[in-house]
Amino acid sequence: MAIVTKEKTAERPAPISETSVFGWMRKNLFSSAFNTLLTLFTLYIVYLTLSGVFTWGIVDATFIADNRRECYDNSLTGACWAGVIAWFDNIFYGRYPRDEIWRINFGLFLLVLWMAPLWMAKVRGKVLIGATVVGLYPFLAGYLFAGGDKGLFMQVMISAAIVAFAINMGNMLTGLFKNVGLNTFLINLAGQSKASDKTRRNVLLGMFGIAFVAVYIWQMGWTAERVGWTRWGGLFLTLVISGIGIASSLPGGILLALGRRSKLPVVRILSTGFIEVFRSVPLITVLFMATTMFPLFMPEGFVLNKLVQVIIAVVLFNACYMAEIVRAGLQAIPKGQSEGAHTIGLGYWGTMGLIVMPQALKHMIPNIVGNIIGLLKDTTLVSIIGLFDLLGMLRSISKDVPWLGLHKEPLIFGAILFFIICFSMSKYSRHLEVKLSAGEKH
Amino acid sequence: MNEPQTTSQLASAISSEVMIEIVDMNKWYGQFHVLKDINLTVHKGERIVICGPSGSGKSTLIRCVNALEEHQEGQITVDGILLGKNLKNLDHIRTEVGMVFQNFNLFPHLTILENLTLGPVWVRKMSKAEATETAMMYLERVKIPEQADKYPGQMSGGQQQRVAIARSLCMSPKIMLFDEPTSALDPEMIKEVLDVMVDLADTGMTMIVVTHEMGFAKTIADEVIFMDEGDIVERNKPEAFFGNPEHERTQKFLSQIL
Repeated sequence: MAIVTKEKTAERPAPISETSVFGWMRKNLFSSAFNTLLTLFTLYIVYLTLSGVFTWGIVDATFIADNRRECYDNSLTGACWAGVIAWFDNIFYGRYPRDEIWRINFGLFLLVLWMAPLWMAKVRGKVLIGATVVGLYPFLAGYLFAGGDKGLFMQVMISAAIVAFAINMGNMLTGLFKNVGLNTFLINLAGQSKASDKTRRNVLLGMFGIAFVAVYIWQMGWTAERVGWTRWGGLFLTLVISGIGIASSLPGGILLALGRRSKLPVVRILSTGFIEVFRSVPLITVLFMATTMFPLFMPEGFVLNKLVQVIIAVVLFNACYMAEIVRAGLQAIPKGQSEGAHTIGLGYWGTMGLIVMPQALKHMIPNIVGNIIGLLKDTTLVSIIGLFDLLGMLRSISKDVPWLGLHKEPLIFGAILFFIICFSMSKYSRHLEVKLSAGEKH
Repeated sequence: MNEPQTTSQLASAISSEVMIEIVDMNKWYGQFHVLKDINLTVHKGERIVICGPSGSGKSTLIRCVNALEEHQEGQITVDGILLGKNLKNLDHIRTEVGMVFQNFNLFPHLTILENLTLGPVWVRKMSKAEATETAMMYLERVKIPEQADKYPGQMSGGQQQRVAIARSLCMSPKIMLFDEPTSALDPEMIKEVLDVMVDLADTGMTMIVVTHEMGFAKTIADEVIFMDEGDIVERNKPEAFFGNPEHERTQKFLSQIL
């Protein structure tokens, strides 16, 4: 054979079925008479369903009314959203005192601000920011929500949290506008252009120390009014329980998973036993155990409130599920990775923290988010043991005298709320996966 | 030990200082006796090539030297430190002994530069700037400084293996172990890796290399060791080893691969 192609073949545009919407539709929806029929039939079914829902939920629905009777007077075939709207405050905040609701909003606002830098490419020190969110924010938020007298411990933690928050915000601003961390910014301000890592750390610690003393003295001057946990409820309570559950079940799960893979037999057997026991029991059983049996094991006079017991149960239960997800993720990382880490002298924690865990966590994201979504939905079980979370609140609407028997609308509203929260989490996890695997193609 | 070398060989700089001493070492995988009564002394600057059929225990032997595998009997002393249960000794030895694997074992989630600076920064407590400088120097030496910000997955096998060599060198090890460094590579890429290894041998590094590249063995080895079924069968200077193998198992092996 001689030469087959002498000149390079010129590139041609792809056929229309690969590039345009119409091409795609023709290829996938209307390729044959039967497929066209099937497509039209499916569209008709979808239309029937959606138009029914639309008429009931929006066209014929009543949005403004004082009670259920007025809803019926207005329209017999439409939804009565007025009941849900009248209960909005209860649905979102439970029976939290109406004058104090700003504290919840403020707490959530703080959380959003606190975590915002994590999504900003220019801001430095993300690990530290993440650590303070998990380690300090809960104390500040907890006091903000519950109020009452501050013990010495709480005073210290609250001051630390406020200082960390302030430094975080300063760091965010210098990051956004000057593209440096707050400590580097201050060093530059003092006229030094270069500084060692040690100086930078010392400046950070110095800032923290000075601000801490100031804030500590300031916070001694005020207290927030006490709001008992029995008045917490609605979406707020759901988010508190699931938020703590999410934030602590992952670290707990990682520890349990490492324990289960440990070479030390005692650690391994204890972790395995713990995981298997909690995973073999339904959550509702764990919740009942936590609230009824747990106090029996405690020394006399030692009383934990029900909310704390419920949170402990949720955390332990989910940590065990997380542990199995983490274990699967760890097993997916080839042994060569930890051998490679050993040969450059990294010990067990260095290998886990720098090499194995970062790779494993990336593989685990879909499962972790799946578990988090499950956790959020599972918290509705607490309404069975007498906490008025989102579901509990929605169900009490039907027992309120003006809205007696109103079941459908509140539950649909709850479903929509849960869908919005869970769907956005799942979308975000997908986005995260794509982003994290951008650099590496295997 | 300093005998006249053939011209094709690199000059050798073996000192009398002992780097690795293995005495009566035995290892089992369960019931399977992998390494049998191994005795081996490696001096500073000595370059040893180990060859043998697969399953003969070559890899296991060098993996024992930096304690990736545990041995059950006998003693291994590396740079004057006895390998044993003492974890502190283990970590110390691993920082002194570099290792290059068949499958590179680079960290896919880190860039090339991060792969290289990780050890110096976290283990040797070097400052980031200093570690980066060292890393770039070694990337220069393995001839891929322009790839510093890429991820391992974006490079060819040969390039990855050169990065792996540079990663080990960044820890300034006293001994380098190579576990079939070219076995997973395309023929075109084998040469670029071997060139880097020859350069390294030239600097007087103590090296133990498990390989099937006999041309390479002839060029750099001070001694060639042949292993079969967990025994060190034959140990000789390369010219004698290849020109006039004594043991019949060595003869058979060489006739099959040459």
